[in-house]
Amino acid sequence: MTGASTRGLLGRMIREEYRLHSELFGDRFAAFPLLVAAISGAGFWLLTLTDVGVGAVAVGVHGLVFFFGLQVGSIGLVGRDALRDVLGDVTLLVFSARTLPVTWRRLLAVFLLKDLLYYSVLFLGPLAAGYAVFAVTAGVPAGDVGLLYLTTAATFAYGAGTSLTAAGVATRSRIARLGLLVGAVAVTAATVAGQVDPVAVSPLAFYDSPSVATAAAGFGPVLALSVLGPLTFRPADGGTARSSPDRYSRVRAQLSDDTGVATRTMLEVARSSGSVWKVLFSMGVLFGVTALLVREVGRATALDPSPGIAFGTLLGLGAFTTYSWVTQFDDRREYLRYPLSMDAVFAGKRRAFLVLSVPAGYAYLALSLLWVPLTEVVLGAVVFPLVAVYVFGVTAYVTGLSPNELLFDTPLFAAFGAALALVSLPLVVTALTYTEAPTTSLAVALAVSVAGAVVGAALAGRAGPRWAATGR
Amino acid sequence: MNKRRRRLGQAKPVVSAVAGTSMPAIETTDLTKTYGDATALADLSLSVPEGELFGLLGPNGSGKTTTIEILTGQREPTSGSARVLGSDPVADPLAVRESVGILPEREDPPSFLTPREYLQFVGDVRDIDDIDDHIDTWADRLGFRDTLDTLSTDLSEGERQRVMLAQTFVHEPDLVFIDEPLVNLDPIMQAEVKDHLCDYCDRGNTLFLSTHFLEVAEQLCTGVAIVRDGRLVAERDPRELGSDERLLDYFRAEVADGSAEGGTEPRSEIPAEPTEHDA
Repeated sequence: MTGASTRGLLGRMIREEYRLHSELFGDRFAAFPLLVAAISGAGFWLLTLTDVGVGAVAVGVHGLVFFFGLQVGSIGLVGRDALRDVLGDVTLLVFSARTLPVTWRRLLAVFLLKDLLYYSVLFLGPLAAGYAVFAVTAGVPAGDVGLLYLTTAATFAYGAGTSLTAAGVATRSRIARLGLLVGAVAVTAATVAGQVDPVAVSPLAFYDSPSVATAAAGFGPVLALSVLGPLTFRPADGGTARSSPDRYSRVRAQLSDDTGVATRTMLEVARSSGSVWKVLFSMGVLFGVTALLVREVGRATALDPSPGIAFGTLLGLGAFTTYSWVTQFDDRREYLRYPLSMDAVFAGKRRAFLVLSVPAGYAYLALSLLWVPLTEVVLGAVVFPLVAVYVFGVTAYVTGLSPNELLFDTPLFAAFGAALALVSLPLVVTALTYTEAPTTSLAVALAVSVAGAVVGAALAGRAGPRWAATGR
Repeated sequence: MNKRRRRLGQAKPVVSAVAGTSMPAIETTDLTKTYGDATALADLSLSVPEGELFGLLGPNGSGKTTTIEILTGQREPTSGSARVLGSDPVADPLAVRESVGILPEREDPPSFLTPREYLQFVGDVRDIDDIDDHIDTWADRLGFRDTLDTLSTDLSEGERQRVMLAQTFVHEPDLVFIDEPLVNLDPIMQAEVKDHLCDYCDRGNTLFLSTHFLEVAEQLCTGVAIVRDGRLVAERDPRELGSDERLLDYFRAEVADGSAEGGTEPRSEIPAEPTEHDA
């Protein structure tokens, strides 16, 4: 393939991405960058009202962008099943190696580059614009804002490259997958033990202290993963019909599931790309980012945040990804053809959601015992499921069985974000002020969590009638 | 084709136009559905007697799918009323769905369930006793026993259609709504499914068929209605066609008449029979 045709492929992939989003989310998608700028600007302004400094905000931005990169890097590959169910038989250019004279590796390399360019303009640019307003008023030089844009773009590529490489290694063999798991655990343990500082080998290191050495240490891994991903990934062989022993009866009995909706959902999650590991993975990334944020905020400010409330809150919010997994293959119209109420459908979804997300969250809270006091972990174990129930209720009521439409449906996204902020902002504030006013913070955190769970349960109960009536 | 028409001629001389000998399986009165300024159905009144193999014909966008969705309680009409097996699909959609089978066009079984598991799920939803026995019966009848434990995402389109046919009939409903039953099936399976549909109605059950394929309607149906722009423009008993008449000609005449009045332009090519490649 010539250089010119590679550029052509890149241009077509970018157009394809835009059309995919337009098809999914309609013309409202065009307003999405403006919303990102507005929300990030408002969020940064709110932070100016607290003691959180510019340095901590920059760390948080990099952490969130890394998480976003991980998600985006996996969506075209791991999320192919979901795309097919939403849009029918979708064939993206990245999967066209069987029909075009171009190798997988080149396609994947262009795919990564496309993601970097596309999201740098549509997401990271508006994010940096929102940050710029906050940073300039805080006395940060304009050059540092430009530097943040550069390093967040690299951090995004870091996340996307990590996803692709992990997926690539996982396609090799069971031993490779086991090695991947062992490696992830080893890195986590070394980080917890203080023997490895992941920030030092990320673009954030260059942002913190620009130099040739930090450039090499910070951007080197990005480059390495961007090369490794395309080199390691191998497409699954779709030529073999996969058979499966009957698991339905067993799972149904274990769940005491009378309608079968929870059973079916569990089987779909377990058998689709990424299996149940995608739940663990997405919550694990959020857990890691939260741990990093808590640590950096503690370092950069006089605050000593409560890790229990922080973990409970962010893992609960992170359960949104589990909601998207348990509904990714659903079509509301299918359920309308059965003698089954939408109440029963959402009850089944809630059961699957809790069965998947609660153990995953508790696993990470248990892991945090390595460096977090037991009382804090217990606090997190109380807050987390309550917030998760709230997230389920809000998501079910606002989005029904199509949570991914949130991503670029601007008005819906704004309403959903505001609803989550109602609970998460007070909780984050209590986490930050915990050491200064522990009793009050604890009481407020528990009260907000319980109230959130009550509201979430009520909204979940109303989701069935709402979505049964919608579109009739 | 002739076999079916002869059998039907002996067993069921009933057509919707002359219905009234027993309670209709389906009855609609001035059924209307609008979406904003667009009218999908306009004053549709139909009566389908029990035991009829009824075909609803019409060009794309003529209101066939909307009709089925209203009759099965998936949509509410803007005005008008309907009764399905004595129940009101607007007031009590679950009662209607309990007693009927529904096969929409181009619907696949869930990708990550096997056919066996999907039918077990349907058994739970429909509260069917001995579902495993029913699954075996239908897998044998529709020829997918060998793929009962294969993930649906790995089945061919024809195999998926067989599974969907099984879920439509597995609870032995008195009335079935089917949108294009023969799509993706090979010729042998098409013939077997046609026989099954005829046998189903010969046992006194009712089948409401929506199709583009006029030859299928001609072979199978004991009554057809043609809709255009959401309006009922004609009802016909295919068995009353003369030896030199074809339903296709009749259909073209009705649709062409409509287009002359500013209605839907008739399609220049109306497929006569679905094939494996018509997906």
